[in-house]
Parts: sequence; C-alpha cells; structure tokens
Amino acid sequence: MRAGKANLALGLGAALLALIVALIWVPMDTSTGMIEKMRRQTNVGDALAPTLAAAFILIGGVLVAMLERPETARRLSAGNLSFLLQLLGILALSLAVMRWLGPAVAELLTDTGYRPLRDTAPWKHLGFLAGGTALVAGLIALAERRLSWRGLLIGAAAALALIAIYDLPFDSLLLPPNGDV
Amino acid sequence: MGWLDYVWMGVLAVFQGPELINLMGLPIPVTLAMIAAGFLLGIAVGATPGLAGPMAMAIALPILISVFGFSPDALLPVFGFLIGIMKGATIGGAVPAILFNTPGTPDAYMTTLDGYPMTQAGQARKALRVAHFSSASGDTFSDIVLILCAPFLAVLVERYLDLPEKTALLILSLAFIAAVIGGSVGKGLISLGLGLLAAYVGTGEDFYPRLSMGTQTLAQGFPIAAVVLGVLIIGEVFKSLEDLWSEARNRRSPRPPITQSGDQRLRWTDIRRLLPFVARSAVIGTAIGALPGIGSTLAATLGYTTGNTRHARSGARPRFGEGAPEGIAATEAANSSVSGANLIPVLSLGIPGNAAAVFLILAADTIGGFNPGPSVFRFTGDVVNPELVIAFGLFTCMMIANLLNWTIGGAFMRSMGFMSRIPKQILLPVVLLLTLTSIYVQETRMAAIWFAIGFGVLGYLMRRLGMSPLPFVIAFILGAKLEETARQAFAATGGDPFFLVSSPIAALFMVLTVGVILRSTRKSKDLPT
Amino acid sequence: MKSILKAAIAAIGLTAMTTGAMAADWTPPGPIKLMIAFRAGGGADTQARLIAEDLEAKLGWKFIPEQVTGKGGMNLAMAIKDQPNDGSVIGMVVTETLGYNMMVANAGVTPDDFTAITTTAGFQMGIVSTAEKGWTSFADMIADAKKSPLRFGVMSPKLADIAYLLGEAQGVDFNIVSVKGGKAVMNGVTAGDMDLGFMAGIQGKGVAAGDLVNLASALSVPLKQTPEAPTLADLGVEFSADGYFLFIGPGGMPTEARDALAAAIGEAISTDGMKSNGMITKAFGGPALIAGDDAQALVSGDYAAAGALLEAASQ
Repeated sequence: MRAGKANLALGLGAALLALIVALIWVPMDTSTGMIEKMRRQTNVGDALAPTLAAAFILIGGVLVAMLERPETARRLSAGNLSFLLQLLGILALSLAVMRWLGPAVAELLTDTGYRPLRDTAPWKHLGFLAGGTALVAGLIALAERRLSWRGLLIGAAAALALIAIYDLPFDSLLLPPNGDV
Repeated sequence: MGWLDYVWMGVLAVFQGPELINLMGLPIPVTLAMIAAGFLLGIAVGATPGLAGPMAMAIALPILISVFGFSPDALLPVFGFLIGIMKGATIGGAVPAILFNTPGTPDAYMTTLDGYPMTQAGQARKALRVAHFSSASGDTFSDIVLILCAPFLAVLVERYLDLPEKTALLILSLAFIAAVIGGSVGKGLISLGLGLLAAYVGTGEDFYPRLSMGTQTLAQGFPIAAVVLGVLIIGEVFKSLEDLWSEARNRRSPRPPITQSGDQRLRWTDIRRLLPFVARSAVIGTAIGALPGIGSTLAATLGYTTGNTRHARSGARPRFGEGAPEGIAATEAANSSVSGANLIPVLSLGIPGNAAAVFLILAADTIGGFNPGPSVFRFTGDVVNPELVIAFGLFTCMMIANLLNWTIGGAFMRSMGFMSRIPKQILLPVVLLLTLTSIYVQETRMAAIWFAIGFGVLGYLMRRLGMSPLPFVIAFILGAKLEETARQAFAATGGDPFFLVSSPIAALFMVLTVGVILRSTRKSKDLPT
Repeated sequence: MKSILKAAIAAIGLTAMTTGAMAADWTPPGPIKLMIAFRAGGGADTQARLIAEDLEAKLGWKFIPEQVTGKGGMNLAMAIKDQPNDGSVIGMVVTETLGYNMMVANAGVTPDDFTAITTTAGFQMGIVSTAEKGWTSFADMIADAKKSPLRFGVMSPKLADIAYLLGEAQGVDFNIVSVKGGKAVMNGVTAGDMDLGFMAGIQGKGVAAGDLVNLASALSVPLKQTPEAPTLADLGVEFSADGYFLFIGPGGMPTEARDALAAAIGEAISTDGMKSNGMITKAFGGPALIAGDDAQALVSGDYAAAGALLEAASQ
C-alpha cells in the first residue's frame, strides 16, 4: 500500500503543479493570450505553449495517480533529503567562495577593485582555485564521511588542471567568476 | 549537382580539411586526428565506471568550440571527435563489465552476465575479443543502415510534409518518447511537460519575455547547456554520490586476482558460431535505434533474451549466464548497433533519440551553419548546399571511426582494464567541477551555474522517483521548434484552428499519438529504463 | 594676467589632450565583452566575429564574444543597459532594435539609454521567391496571390507590419508567417513551406545563380543586385525596411571611448584585405558607416517614427 500511496502523492503533486502553472503563473506572466488577433490575422499567442506543457503534466499526473502499477512507485526517504541538504550546503559555500573571494581580497588590497584585474593572473584564478578546491574536497568528504588532506590535494589538483585546460590556452574563455564582475 | 558529387565532396571535406601536422610529407587532416582522439578517449571513458560517453561529450564541447571557433569549418572536426567518443564509449563499457562485474555504462549490464563468468573461468581476454568483434560488427551494420536510409527518409519528409504535418509529427515523436522510456507513461508525460515548460521560460513571440517573473535573469531563458548537463550529468553525479554516501559504512574488500589460462584467441570457428547471434542482435538494435528515445539498454535486453531463446533451444554449452561467448555477442552487438541508427531521426526529422544525439545537436546549434533535420538533404541545382556536404562528411567520419574500431580498437580496449580502479568518490566531484566550469565558460555568468545545479537537483529527484530524465531533455530541445512550427502552420493556413487534423497525414499522426499513449497505459509490461 | 595665461594654457592643453585621446590613445580597460544579438553561424554573427578578429590582429585589443539572442535584439539591449560604460562591453544589434522594437516592447527604455557607436553595413532587403514559382516580376506574384492567399515569410514584427501593408496596398491577403532569422525565411522559401519572404542579403548567391528571384526591394532605394525591381514606395507602401547593423554600448559611454571604437571598427571594415571587409562586401554590398552622434540621431529618429508604422498597420 505504501508504494501505491507514493504514486498517488506524486501524481496529485504533479497535477497540482500543472494547475498552478496553467491557471495562475501563465495568465499572470505572459503578455499575449492563447490566441491573438493582430493586424486582422489571428496568431498563436505566448500563453498557448506553456498551457499545453501544463496539460501534459496534468495528464501525466492523473495517469500516475489513477492507473499506474504499484511496482513502478518510488518515494523519497528522509535520508535522501538529508543528503541533498548537505550536498547543496557544500555547493553553496564553495561557489560563494568562488564568486566573492577575488573581489573581496582586491577590495582590501588595491584601490581599483577587482574589475580591472579580472584578466590578470593570479587574481583571475584566485576565486576559482579556492572555490574549486573547496567544492571537490567537500564532496569527497561527504562521500567518504570524513575530511581528509588527500581530498584537499585532489581538489586543488583538479582546479589547477582545469585552469590549465581552459584558461592557459584560450584567451577568450573566462573562468568563474570573471564574466560577472 | 548529383548525389554522387555530394558524397565525394563530403569525403573530401574530411580528408582535405585543414591539416594538423605534416608527417614526413604526409598531411594528417585535423578531422581525422580528432576522430581518433575522440575514439580513444571514448574507450577510456566507457571503461571507467561512473563516467559515460555523454559526460565526455559535454565536457569536451566548450573546449572544442574554443579551439575550432564558430565557422562551418569547425563542424566536421567537432562532430568527428564527438562521434569518436560515442563509438569508443560503446565498446569501452564492456571492459569493466567483463573484468570486474561492474558495467562501465548502463547498457553493458547484460554483458556482465556471461562476461564475468568467463573471466572467472580464466577466459577474460577471449571474452573481451568476443565483445569487441560483436560490438564493431553491430556498430558498422547500423551505420550502413543510417547512411542508406536517412537521406531518403529526409527527402520524403520534405516532399510530403507541410507545416501542419511537421507539427503533428513532432507531437507524435514526443508522445512516443514519453510513452516508451522508463515503462511508466504517466511519469514520462510529467517529464515531457516539465521539459516543455522549461523551454518556454523567457522565449515567445511577444517582446515581453514570458514566465520570467519580471527578472532579467530569466528573460533570456534557461541556457541550454545548463539544462541538459544539469539534468543528464549533474543529476547522475548527485545520485551516484548519494549511493557512495550510503555505502560508506560498509566498504567491500578488493577481490583477489584471477589467473588467466587457456586459448585466448578468437578463432574462425568461434566467429562462425557467434555470427548468427551478432546478426540477429544487430538487426534488433538497429530497428530499436531508429525509433527515437528507446535506447541501447532495451536493445541489449532484447538482444540478450532473443539470443538466449535460440541458444537454449540448441542445447549448446555453456548456457547463457554461465559464461557463454554467445551471450556477450548477443548483448554487445545489440547495444552497439543502436548508436548509428539513432541518428536516423536526428538527420531526417531533427529529433534526437538519445543523449549522444542530444550532444550532436547541441554542438551543431552552438557552432551554427548546420541544422540537423530534413532540410539538410536538399539536393540543389547549381549552388552547393553546404549542409549536405557536412552530412556526408559526418557519414565519412562514422565510417572512419568504424575502421579505427576494427583496427586499433580491440587492442586499446583490452589495455583499459586499469581505468575501473579509479575510485568513484574522487572521480565524481571532479566531474562535477569540470561540468560546472564548462557551463560557465560557455555562458559566462554565475546564474548559469545556479541553474545547472537546480536542474541537477531536478534530475536527481527524477531518478529517485523512477522518472526518466530523457523525455525532459528531448522536450526541452524540441520545445521551441514545436511552438515555432505550430505558430507557422497556424499562420500559413490562414488561422485554421483545426490545422492538426484537417489534412489526412496530420490527422493520421494525431490518431497515432493518442494510440501510443492509450496503448502504453494499458500495457502492464515493465520495460527497463 | 598670470592666472588668465595659466587658464589659457590649461585650456589649450586640455583640447590637445582630448583630440589626441580621441582615436589613438584610448585603449580598452581590459578585454572587451562583445555581445551578439544573432544566432551563431549566420551572416550577422560571422560579421561581428570577423570584426573582432580583425581588431585583435590589428590593434591587439582582446574580445570575448558572447551570444545574447532573442526578442529582436531587445534581450541584448536589456542585458547591456546596466553594464559598465567604459567601452569594455559592446553589442551588435540592428537599428530596428533601438527603433521599432524598443518602441513596441515598451520595456521602459529609450535609445537615449544606450550609446550608438557605429553602423557597419546596410541590409539589401529584398522580397524574394524561388525561381521555380515561375514569377519573373512582382506583378506575376500578385496575380497568383489574387487567386489564393500566399504565404509570406518574415523575420521581425516590423517586417510583418510592412508585409501586411503591402498586401493591403496591392489588394491581396498574405498569410504572414513569422520565423526566427533570415536564414529560416530562406530555408522555408526553398523548402516550399512559404511562397515568398523578406531576405536581407542572404539571397545574393541564390539570385546570382538563378535559383532565387528578387521580386521587389523592401528599401527606399532599389537593390544593388536587382536595380529594376520596384521599391516599396513604387508599390504603394510609404514605409521601408531600411536598416543597418549597429554597434551599441551602455548609455553615457565617454566620447573618446565611443569614437575610438567607431574609428577602429570603421577602419577595419573599410580596409581592403581585412576579413570583415571581404565578408561585408560579399554579403551586404559593402560597408555603410554612420558613426557617433549621427548614429544616435538615426536610431532616435527610427524610434520616433515607429509609431506611424504601428498605427498604419493596426488600422
């Protein structure tokens, strides 16, 4: 029965999402309706396609809730969610380092700030190296359930290797975060 | 310009393209070098559990484009590399399946059933030879079918299908993909609908970027690389990382090495015995590959099952599952013959059927100058149709890759056993950083990385809920095309609201669409993903 | 006396400095991000990338090209608006973006929020069909259109308005089919999905080979390739599809940066032997340069005039 309930929950969830999209989001966030009259010619408006997409989700949801065989049912466990939270935490932290470390250090040490330096080594590599190392080391630690020097070394090596692949040979490629600053 | 001229120009485009180096007076064309490099990389990637062909294609793409630029000259070297990876990964996947009982790619699962028992019996190298021979045969057969079929199908499509029929055909293909992938038509439709919805954010005909909630971040829509790589690759990395995280408490000890003995060669008598199995599976795999969305795992399963029935009837020993070379042959020929045929819907209809085809379309889209679809096969009068030359160049690349496969593929594949010793908990985080970086260099804004992680979470959830991410990705890629074609059909018919059913061919496609969905809901057979 | 002299010297010095800085002395602060509002691989995209290549080779400046497509250039305009205006971010659009499209989009911006740098080339916009149709003149096509409605491919809302007005002036009904980009119009017309359509120069090779026919010029002047084809004015439409490819930057760009960029681009595309010059000559019939304040005035004029076309087409 638990499996059947999982399908019911997924199906109804999808159907609810579809209804929200079709009845609230699409009408409020498109500027032309389903069918538009323009220059005496009728045209398809911008609301039609997303509404159709919502219709597919709705039909799928109803099928899953009503007709689906219980053996195809899968549900998320508390363990799944806890893993996902830890994972996203590590990613958010390391990407924040990647984005802001360079500008922060430049703000402290120079008068000009980061922008004029965004194409100058070692400034342009600072955030990527630190953030990339943190990302790889953090995820290795997550998978092995322990923090290790080996993980940090592998992270730094990976980030350096990527700098060598993308940045050294190609003038027109920008590593994160140098396109944003 | 006859068709023979185009074939010849396609071949020349590969061989007379810019040269990489001059080896003792012998110029090595860059396309040729790229095919070989991609092919060897593909074998290595396929032989590494946790990596797959699409990952390598995704990561290589921005580098390739930076090297070759955005000119039409870039198309063939880039395609050559990607096709090399696609073919290499197919045979590479059998290596860890046979040697260590862990499939390198999902479609090699059935190879473990007979491959690993052969290793345990001391016949590992022979098993690898059987896998290579069957895989290369299936692949070559499939490519020949592609080259013979795609142009004719494309010409038929262009001649008989008008805008309304093209719209109906797109709808039919999407419904078919949703219905056949993953064994649950309901989940397939949800995946499809979500993919379309994602494609419609920020796009549209009016100047207001629809569904952008008034923000500039969403106004340009989701970057295609962030969505495709997010759902297909980052989602898979998240899932595998969690598997490691849950396993971390009880790690297995390494297996003791097995000594290899006996005749490891593949003899002519062996080949004669294997050929019927290879042939049957190649036909099955090609037929399945020609339908968009079904994929190589089902082909492998069907090939193996069919082979098993025949083998059991003959009463020969060893039986399937106990180390029969026929079992490896039936599986590998089937899963390898999917890859070529999978390009039939891409080239004749513009509809990608699997992840590898998605990346070929992505490459064509990024570089520009080649729009996979029926319009490629327009045999023009005096003016050369450059897209057609590229198409025949693409076919030439595939045949060159096959040639490499037959000559150096086997030996290289047998040397790749060590790749499966790379620990996954190191590999996966590095792959993630690599993927995020490659998305950033293409899009140059942090928002793209956040989108990619968001779609990665979606891909992870879909996998955990038993929902295939492939309909999502294909719908995302075809979403804009579907809407454009429908708009144009509506406008071209002077605003006929029933354009989808007012011509007999379009109406037939729509009836088939409803039929496909109804049939799959009734069917209670559980198809493997 | 002394102080006046001092001021005078200072003033002379200042003028000398600004003139000197105008073209030669200005160098971009770091790499220049080049946003391109056109799909990769098309004629417009190739043009932008070749100009960047030429400038890199000639002046040693560094460009980072990036595609920002969609909404007739409005996506690019909205993205470039708030970027630094020191010349380190420029974009390539068409004059229509800052004119008609900006007017209709009603997105809270006007051409004054941007800096027009320079145009590069004009469109050779023709109304084109395949030779297979058997039409040798515009009148042949109209005769067929009177029997049953023809499909007219367009690639922008402004062109859709003009196509509608053309039908009205000629007393026929076109089924106007909007597609994305001139290449898509050409593909649709060659594949038979559309009967005729606007093409902005891409038709040149096909017309020369006799596969395509320029039925009319969509400009206020005749086409260079087919001077005998009637213009829109000849056909009773008082509007035209005149337009140019245009480099823009964020609003308030310093004059010396703007002029240095305009001068560099202008020199590259008008110099024989430069890649961009070859491409522009082949595809767009040669460079057409309107720079600085003249360019700004051009788009402001287009923006102001867009209302009249809208009103005429809405009736």
